[in-house]
Amino acid sequence: MKLSAHRAGLPGKVSEFYIVLLSACCRQEGARSGQDDRCTKDMTSFTFQRILIDEEAERDEATQILLRNLPAVPVERIQDKRPLIKRFSDLTDPLSEGKKVLLVTRFYGRRLKPCPGTSNHICCGYHVINAITNCPMDCSYCVLQTYLTNPLLTLYSNWDDMIGEIEDFLSLKPQALVRLGTGELSDSLALDPIFPLSQVLIPFFAERKNGILELKTKSEEVGQLLSLEHRNRTVVSWSLNPPRIIEEEEMGTASLEQRIGAARRCQEKGYLLGFHFDPIIYHEGWEKGYRETITSLFQQIDPRRVAWVSLGGFRYPPQLKAIAKERFSKTRIFLGELFPGKDAKFRYLKDIRVEMYQKMVGWLQQVDPTLFVYLCMESHEVWTQVFGWSPQNSSHLNHLFEKRLGTFLGSN
Amino acid sequence: MSMSDIRKIPLKEIDPLDETFSVNFMANLERLRSSIEKVGLIQSILIRKKHSRYQIVCGFRRVSVCQELGWNEIEARVIHQDEDDLRLFSMSLHDNLATRGFNSVEVAIALDRLVHHFRMDPPVVIGTFLPLFSLETSEKILNTYLSLVSMEDGMKRYIVQEEVSRSNIRRLASMTSEDRIAALSLLSVLKLGENRLREVLTLLEETAQRDHRTVREIIALREIQTVLGHQDLTPSQRTEKIKKVLLNLRYPRLHQLQETFETKRKELSLPGGLSLQHLAFFEDKGMKIEFQFETLEEYQSLVSSLSLLQEKEEFQEMLLSRRTSKKTT
Repeated sequence: MKLSAHRAGLPGKVSEFYIVLLSACCRQEGARSGQDDRCTKDMTSFTFQRILIDEEAERDEATQILLRNLPAVPVERIQDKRPLIKRFSDLTDPLSEGKKVLLVTRFYGRRLKPCPGTSNHICCGYHVINAITNCPMDCSYCVLQTYLTNPLLTLYSNWDDMIGEIEDFLSLKPQALVRLGTGELSDSLALDPIFPLSQVLIPFFAERKNGILELKTKSEEVGQLLSLEHRNRTVVSWSLNPPRIIEEEEMGTASLEQRIGAARRCQEKGYLLGFHFDPIIYHEGWEKGYRETITSLFQQIDPRRVAWVSLGGFRYPPQLKAIAKERFSKTRIFLGELFPGKDAKFRYLKDIRVEMYQKMVGWLQQVDPTLFVYLCMESHEVWTQVFGWSPQNSSHLNHLFEKRLGTFLGSN
Repeated sequence: MSMSDIRKIPLKEIDPLDETFSVNFMANLERLRSSIEKVGLIQSILIRKKHSRYQIVCGFRRVSVCQELGWNEIEARVIHQDEDDLRLFSMSLHDNLATRGFNSVEVAIALDRLVHHFRMDPPVVIGTFLPLFSLETSEKILNTYLSLVSMEDGMKRYIVQEEVSRSNIRRLASMTSEDRIAALSLLSVLKLGENRLREVLTLLEETAQRDHRTVREIIALREIQTVLGHQDLTPSQRTEKIKKVLLNLRYPRLHQLQETFETKRKELSLPGGLSLQHLAFFEDKGMKIEFQFETLEEYQSLVSSLSLLQEKEEFQEMLLSRRTSKKTT
């Protein structure tokens, strides 16, 4: 595979940055014959049946990069994606079928928003960037199953608009240290080999003083990141679970070993790391599973360069259960003692959550007592029972993040 | 379609056991019998010559009633024997839909016959016949009915009698036959509406799955059998008790918290009219008190009891235990 880097003459703000173009193994004249589908698998572990290109997106460089990276996948040009989305939505399992089809289109409107979080609980002040909607992976507990009206794996090709929006947002908060991530409506890196957002975003954030990018993933797709200058402005984070949960509930994701290996490679290149034990699933043997996962993790990862670790018990909106059980008939995630909370989401009994968090925190603190561990979408009372104290509110927690990041950034 | 004028056909020449075109299940013949007795047969049946006898296309129930009433012959139109079977089956369905409708098992039998006997493509069955039964065109709905056909007769009767919804049919279909038989033994002695049935089935299924047991093993548990063994309970009372047992099995930690709270509440010896409750699912540490009164004296008595409550050691302990974090190692 050939790697070449050049300063691309791209429109708008993206033109400032180096773009590393990946040469596909089949990138040659006549490669779009559709006869050889090895290229899909070489570039990514996912297989796509079709690429649908909205005619407005055809000329975007991001679209052209994708097409060069998937020369063997049939392409169809479309003018109006709405009837197509409706057709997919009427299928028996639109979510599964939609993951096999890439829709490339432009995003109009605001795609940078505060993380929705949840009411009546403490949140961390994170912001999310909608760069890709839907995910090639298929986790039984994923809440995207409940609210995505478009089941297709949708890639937004107008990167310059995205960068422009982030730039404008950061310019409004010059004194803050804002955390933004692309892992809310998709996996941040699963498609990076074919749709290399990292190569636009990481260099962008490297030159910003007040923004931190978080790339959250369950993949091991970090190849594109390792040669980029990140200047500590990017945190690469992994969602983690014991191997049994990964195997049973996180379809299409990298194994625990693969995720840790990828994290190690990023750490070797100086990246700050994050880890999210979210959702924590209470199951038979959970203690052993999570303890061993933490042990495996820190056998390879230096905790001193871990920006944060989050803990979040499994929680879900009421409508998820029927959908998930229909799609994953053998799932065991709903077998715990889960009840509706103040935000209407179902959570484990509070005693169970506190027990899990206390033990997890204990194991993590045994590794490194200075690790920054926080709870995701939890109440004051749970924070207090777990840590003996609680952030006063979400702003306070956000401030603690800024302080934590400050220890890594120094005067950088 | 070629058919004869109405003729009188001897009943003994009609083969009631040839059910090629029948989808009957739990046929309720009372009203039909009463009607035929009073006014005679209003509509002739439709039959087809088959070998030496006649095959019923439309009119199985009428034939059955007339035989019971001791008739010797019945008015019928005879269809040409070369007429297409699928067409005749479709005619039979339309005839029944126009006159009496189908219960869910009969719909299931009809759909199963179309798919497996007449070998129609499922998409065609979905598109053409589901709307006939006023059903949405969906593979899921077809599969739900097909799963119903293979259930035990007892469960089918239960489903018809209780007008069980499709979602609950699917829950029952996901069980093994042995589990369904055990479930029926429980369900048939309870007073369940649709929501309660869903709740009971879900509790059974999830407890069994969590504990790596079968549904029948859960039903065989002493706690459930003890309730079922109480002959003096009404169906409603039995249902409440069974539901409570299933909830306790499904949510043991919650049950433990409730038991502990209940024990401490009893120690308070609260007067009637005053109730102390924990907050929903013990998510928050508070408690709530409700009191009822009708007269000023009752009110004053309750207020007095409330003031005394704060001095009770048991009450203070309850408040303290609701605040304290239980550190586990």
